[in-house]
Amino acid sequence: MTADAALQLRRLLHAIPKLSDGQAHSVDEVARVARTDRNTVLRDLFSLTERLNEPGGFIPGLQVYIDSRRRGVRIANARHFRRPMGLTLGELSALQLGLAMLRAERTPNEYAPIDRARTRLRKAVAKLPADEWQAATRHAEFGAAGEQSHLSVIRDCIRKRRKARIKYRTANAEDPQVRVICPYGLIASRGAWYVVAHADDRDAVRIFRLDRMEEAKQLTAVFQAPEPFSIASVVHDGRVFQANDAESLRVRYSPAVARWIEERERVPLAADGSVTVEYPLADAQWAVRHVLRYGADAEVLAPEAVRVAVIERLLGIVAAPLSGATA
Amino acid sequence: MATAKARRKHKGPKERNSKLQRWIDLLAALLSRQLPASFEELRHDVPAYTAGDGPTLMRMFERDKDELRAFGVPIESVPYGDPPENGYRLRARDFYLPFLAVTTPERPTARSAVPPAGYRALDQIAFEPDELTAVGDAAARVRALGDPLLTADVESAMRKLAFDLPADAMRPGTDEYVLTNPVDEKCFVVLGAALLDRKVVSFDYHAMSTDQTTRRKVEPYGLVFLGGHWYLVARDQAHEQLRSFRVNRITRIVPNRARPQTPDYEIPAGFHLDEHARSRHAWNLGDEAVITAVVDFRRLTGATRAASKLGHAVRGSSNLRQFDVRRSDAFARWLLSFGGDAMPIEPPTLADRFRTIAREALGRYGASP
Repeated sequence: MTADAALQLRRLLHAIPKLSDGQAHSVDEVARVARTDRNTVLRDLFSLTERLNEPGGFIPGLQVYIDSRRRGVRIANARHFRRPMGLTLGELSALQLGLAMLRAERTPNEYAPIDRARTRLRKAVAKLPADEWQAATRHAEFGAAGEQSHLSVIRDCIRKRRKARIKYRTANAEDPQVRVICPYGLIASRGAWYVVAHADDRDAVRIFRLDRMEEAKQLTAVFQAPEPFSIASVVHDGRVFQANDAESLRVRYSPAVARWIEERERVPLAADGSVTVEYPLADAQWAVRHVLRYGADAEVLAPEAVRVAVIERLLGIVAAPLSGATA
Repeated sequence: MATAKARRKHKGPKERNSKLQRWIDLLAALLSRQLPASFEELRHDVPAYTAGDGPTLMRMFERDKDELRAFGVPIESVPYGDPPENGYRLRARDFYLPFLAVTTPERPTARSAVPPAGYRALDQIAFEPDELTAVGDAAARVRALGDPLLTADVESAMRKLAFDLPADAMRPGTDEYVLTNPVDEKCFVVLGAALLDRKVVSFDYHAMSTDQTTRRKVEPYGLVFLGGHWYLVARDQAHEQLRSFRVNRITRIVPNRARPQTPDYEIPAGFHLDEHARSRHAWNLGDEAVITAVVDFRRLTGATRAASKLGHAVRGSSNLRQFDVRRSDAFARWLLSFGGDAMPIEPPTLADRFRTIAREALGRYGASP
């Protein structure tokens, strides 16, 4: 079966039950429900009825009526297609993949509805012989959330528009701080989860990495999300950060690592094979950590303050005693 | 003039329509019967199975039946008649979507309207509201992955569920945003079909480590989404090893089109994609021998705290962690990103390499200790 034919059959098995309820439905409505366009709907319907070179005398097949005045369409004689087909194995597998991802992000006491949903969906599948059940061909995870219970608390706060009290350790701090936040939404990016929230102590929107949260508690106080506010406003060029000023970080990567950077940042290589990238600078400590991971293959060109910070860190490493372990 | 091969490849709309009509007619013919039926009986209800010679029509029927099965239609082959011959059956309760309903505290026993004749054998499945929220959240996650086949499957599933269930009840519970990288739709279509049919695929792969693009021939085992990227897990036939290929580095992908109904390979029974897909750090990938490294976490900052939970505890110490490392250079660079807050102390070769990398980085700035 070609992919086109399968898609057309899938669309028709969705549409026919809707259109065979005795009512006229507008083509636009059918297209909206089927998430396709008017022309595709009409083409699909005509494909059912345009019978050429076939002998007569058979039980009449589906009859499609299109009322041009009311722009309505209905199907008659579809007594075997008044319900949709059950879920296919592919459809069930796709939903099960999503439920498995959901389960991986939740705490054990939140598993019950997910597991019940999985069981019920399996009963909605078109039955295949047992040997046709296949092992999963997809696996997906969005990233580390740290304590899953924190993710659950934050999700619940977002849903109920409740404030949360969190204990949060910033990237460079040894001591966590207690903060009250109004969580607006969650972002999964590059293997980590982030909470976009109004931080009451800063009276500004801030981004918190979930795996740096050490406690999270829902408060009774409610909040109103600002209008208009979009979670996407903190996403810039595929990165999650709050750009407060115009300062930028300029880094040159050596030819040894430049192709990875070129692929990730979609910037062209220089003639010598190196690549220079300019990033909005939201956090100098992030910049230091980012550059250090490339060793001698990355160099901060600007700003000077970040160059100095990188040098200081490296001098500290070289001067540190070989064995500083404390038992 | 088009060749016969080209004509087969590019079927015209009339041919497509005729096939679609055959499928619909065959489905209706099977669903109208409670007992199995032979091809001779079914052909009376399918106009296209009457014009032509017997063996050709039988082959057409066999192809249609196989294609519908591949689509997910559970057509059974059963012995039928006396003497027994091949019979075919499609049970209503196996084919149709069961009746779906929502239970609520006010209506703990879900009931739907009296089903029409021909559909009364169908089961009824009652979902609780929190289960439907989970389904909505699950669908949102799958859509976010960017795989067009998965998205099409999940959209289709949600449309079917919405035939009986209120769409509002299946909305995601929270506003969540997932950043993923764009994917090549054609590549996913080929890989998705190859995975289902277990067909070998060939493609050009750009290996970043060597900066070389080479032709690979692999047996796909699964697709894995980690850290915002899709990876193909497949057995590389030339290397006779299981490898992971980043999908956005794959180009010119071609499936093996020979013997389309026959799988090219078997996936070993002991292979589990979930276990294979566990996210691993760059320093843990590859085939190099494992060394045991000990790291001293000197400052527990927000950045180092998550890292300090990896590896294994060292007895008697709260700040030392032990790691199994395959690529010591990658491990040293990862530790360097903590700016001295996490220092390798064993083995000595790793500790020395770590300091050497730091000195080389200092040299980049014209500084020296």
